Amino acid sequence: MIPGNSAPVIVLNTNTQTDDGKRAQLANIRASRAVADIIRTTLGPKSMLKMLLDPMGGIVMTNDGNAILREIDVKHPAAKSMIELSRTQDDEVGDGTTSVIILAGELMTVSEPFFTMKIHPIIIVSSYFKAMDHALKVAEKIAREISVENHEEIADVIHSCIGTKFSSRWGSLIVDLAVQAVKAVFINKNGKKEVDIKRYAKVEKIPGGNLEDSRVLNGVMFNKDVTHPKMRRFIQNPRIMLLDCPLEYKKAESMTNVEMTKEEDFAEILRQEEEEVCKLCQAIMKFNPDIVITEKGVSDIAQHFLLKQNISVIRRIRKTDNNRIARVSGATIVNRPEELQESDIGTKCKRFEIKLVGDEYYTFMEECEEPKACSILLRGGTKDVLNEIERNLQDAMSVARNIILDPKLVPGGGAVEMHVATELTKIANSIEGIEQWPFLAAATAFEVIPRTLAQNCGCNVIRIVTELRSKHAEESKDAPYWGIDGNEGKLADMRVIKIWEPLVVKKQTFKTAVESAAMLLRIDNVVSGISKKEKKQGPAGNIEDAEI
Amino acid sequence: MSVSILGSRESGQNIRDTNVRAVQAVANIVKSSLGPNGLDKMLVDEIGDVVISNDGATILRSLEVQHPAAKVLVELSRLQDQEVGDGTTSVVIVAAELLKRANDLVKYKIHPTTIIAGFRLAMKESIQYIKDYLSVKTESLGKDAILNVAKTSLNSKLIGAESDHFASMIVNCVEAVGVMGASKEMKYPIKSIKVLKCIGQSAKESVHLNGFALMTGRTAQGMPTSIKNARIACLDFNLNKFKLQMGAQVLVNDAKNLEKIRLRELEITKERIEKVLKAGANVIFATKAIDDFALKYFVEAGAIAVRRVDKKDIRKIAKQCGAEVLITLMNNEGEEVFNESSLGSAEEVSEERLGDNDFIFIKGMKHSSSQTLILRGANEFMLDEIERSVHDAICVVKRVLESKSVVVGGGAVETALSIYLDSFARTLGSKEQLAISEFAESLLVIPKTLAINAAQDACDLLAKLKMYHSASQNSSDEKKQEYKYVGLDLANGKVRNNLKAGVLEPTISKIKSLKFATEAAISILRIDDLIELAPKPEKERDGH
Repeated sequence: MIPGNSAPVIVLNTNTQTDDGKRAQLANIRASRAVADIIRTTLGPKSMLKMLLDPMGGIVMTNDGNAILREIDVKHPAAKSMIELSRTQDDEVGDGTTSVIILAGELMTVSEPFFTMKIHPIIIVSSYFKAMDHALKVAEKIAREISVENHEEIADVIHSCIGTKFSSRWGSLIVDLAVQAVKAVFINKNGKKEVDIKRYAKVEKIPGGNLEDSRVLNGVMFNKDVTHPKMRRFIQNPRIMLLDCPLEYKKAESMTNVEMTKEEDFAEILRQEEEEVCKLCQAIMKFNPDIVITEKGVSDIAQHFLLKQNISVIRRIRKTDNNRIARVSGATIVNRPEELQESDIGTKCKRFEIKLVGDEYYTFMEECEEPKACSILLRGGTKDVLNEIERNLQDAMSVARNIILDPKLVPGGGAVEMHVATELTKIANSIEGIEQWPFLAAATAFEVIPRTLAQNCGCNVIRIVTELRSKHAEESKDAPYWGIDGNEGKLADMRVIKIWEPLVVKKQTFKTAVESAAMLLRIDNVVSGISKKEKKQGPAGNIEDAEI
Repeated sequence: MSVSILGSRESGQNIRDTNVRAVQAVANIVKSSLGPNGLDKMLVDEIGDVVISNDGATILRSLEVQHPAAKVLVELSRLQDQEVGDGTTSVVIVAAELLKRANDLVKYKIHPTTIIAGFRLAMKESIQYIKDYLSVKTESLGKDAILNVAKTSLNSKLIGAESDHFASMIVNCVEAVGVMGASKEMKYPIKSIKVLKCIGQSAKESVHLNGFALMTGRTAQGMPTSIKNARIACLDFNLNKFKLQMGAQVLVNDAKNLEKIRLRELEITKERIEKVLKAGANVIFATKAIDDFALKYFVEAGAIAVRRVDKKDIRKIAKQCGAEVLITLMNNEGEEVFNESSLGSAEEVSEERLGDNDFIFIKGMKHSSSQTLILRGANEFMLDEIERSVHDAICVVKRVLESKSVVVGGGAVETALSIYLDSFARTLGSKEQLAISEFAESLLVIPKTLAINAAQDACDLLAKLKMYHSASQNSSDEKKQEYKYVGLDLANGKVRNNLKAGVLEPTISKIKSLKFATEAAISILRIDDLIELAPKPEKERDGH
């Protein structure tokens, strides 16, 4: 029998660790601030790049918040949740990935004193949400609408958005690329606007050459060569046929066996296979195409037949590339050559050319009538530089897309944040009870953006920020437009130096930052080290579980 | 000497103490997540995946509880989740408190079975009392009542700040799926509500959609993005190249036949597709694959085809648009046909893009009762938690709509019951009296925890609550009768009439949670011996 005094009762698995109460809360705050600190210096025009080494030894050089955080392997769960934010921001609007983290980190930081003061987290959270509502309204109020047709204005916005990036050294180059590309893929079908950058604007990077050689093609390009060196590499007004089937002998899906009794049977079978390929080619040749592009393989014998007809063949192209070609050339992707129709042939592309760039062959299909897809050719010194420029370009394109879909702008350079902070401070006075404090704190948290901008450009932070604050406190009509000129480190009217940002980006930044901060602040217990095996009974909220 | 067993054995008061301590530990974990001022837990597993939750059932399930008695509690919260869907935290807290108090009684040498009998009696009495005096019919409260029920459930969650938005969305949603059941009563099958999650925007941008949505894109880019007056076919077979079953072989003598077989394989699928299209279908949902070569026919016909749709989803779609899920096209005569009658219809099927995902929306279906909620949020953890909160609220709304009866929340019911049971106990002359008054005392743990979580003075508030409720029960004054609805106002640290303030919970949830908690406490209380067998020594393998 066991003696009367029992050992401590073990309820949980012994290898779990729990952190509770204030300790968990403070740890969460610290973790989120740590994440924000990592990328703090990448905000603004005087931002610096980060160099990340992955375990494989590869290098990433970037100042894109999302790209940096994606590579970082953090352990603390709260930090993980922060990192997810920049992904959300990237998915939704594609820009402002750094500011969202900095803002969320700051919102967490300013809440720290309240925990020591023993203000209930629920009160902090609810006043944060209130602050978010007001902030969105304030941002909306100072937003102005622009016309989508006005290229210059759009270019200005993109310019200011990616002015903070590496590529800003090349002036308007990236901006022009982005505007052109987005214009190309923009479809306005009975009022429904569609800009699908992901599918139809492809960035092709070729190391070497000058960045100035980069351009948006009036068509598409891809890294492929014709299958046979004798095929034509330059065709004017080609007839293009797109296939997604192999031009080889295909075996049947069902299990088929052939019984051979004589030696001739073997030869017969080989001949049969050849004949099949020949039939395929004949079906293709009937339509007299100049170029045949397929997603699958092309056998030597098919090449032979097609070469004889002076048809250029490109094989093993990606599905996504094929879709783009279909869009620019007006061709339909066909699976069975027997079912080809005249309408499947694409003729909208006027120039087919295979060029040797660097030491690889690239296919260019250009001079298309109204292409609804495009490729963007990037040239530049090294692969790392190109990668960073590509990320910049993606951001720029997202900005352009956002403006086209929702053409509303707010002043940048920390102006809108400062304005929000000022307005919130005014509103805070009308709030009763303890909620006023966290509300005020949220207001000051918004100042982190102009403050960080000032920090990064190396000016006197306190002087500049106080000056800015007083500018915004003025009752004049210009007040909301004062911000920090990140290059000069001086205050400037954002309308004069033309720093604008899309409203959607700003709104999304505020929403994401506040919501995630609120979620983390509500946590009072962290249990870690739970093993995975017991899971997968379906989430608790699974509606299927409940009986009807 | 006791009989020797292979393993450890614990019995008598020892095991009761151990059990109570274990149960207490579990209750302590979830305690701080109760009520509108409850906080969340962050659970991190070995790999580092994070769950952030306020839902008692979710927390306990993820927590790998090892102690057998504690496991009973975990099961308890799961049961509550299944049966009611909400109140998973309070049920655990009440059960733990009951056990603690029962254990104290046992120490005074009252036999557990007496306590059990007392608890049973108390439970019966309280349920009767809730039904007779405390529950309020929703008809007398108007539409706001249901909205308030949803809000009460949501208020304790992450999305509490946006509870207005979510509550109205959820109520509309649940009301829309209502169908007349066989017994002439409205049923609200919450299975018809589909909850989709999509990262981006903020919780406020979550939308309610009248119709069905799938989180997949159309299969080929060449297909139209929207089709009005859709005719829907639901196929539960794949549209790949036809393939004979495993093991079936074809033996050919002539090589020419080989090619014929290959062609035939293509033709079979093509014919099938043509039959479907010929019947007028312009939207095709398939549970299995659709081969690339087959896509072309759909593109040419201007139809939308969606592949790899979940089987559950396709059944729902089929049911609502009046289509038939076809496993094969074969009819009784062994011919392949596709009847027009197998097609369902919907006003519109369209593909839209939200965040970074494509969604297929099916709107205006024939027997449409299906509703979709699309949740938005800052990151995945948040979305998961919103989903759980929304699920709780949906369940609660459904219960109220079906039972049409609510009770007042904020600790009002518990306090009323406690006062009532206390006086009821005094009418009994047996030992059960003690058990019943302990039961009465245990119920007060709910208002107490609520007050503590809100950082208010629990003793003060509890005293006030008790005063009002005792006044209401001991007086026939009309005005004082109203006091039975007095509960806690946690934001201001006062007591108030919670019926007017709109803090409502479904009656059934309260009754069930009382029942479950008592049953669980009883089952643990009955234990007086724990025998843990040592694992069998592994037989030595003869290594050959």
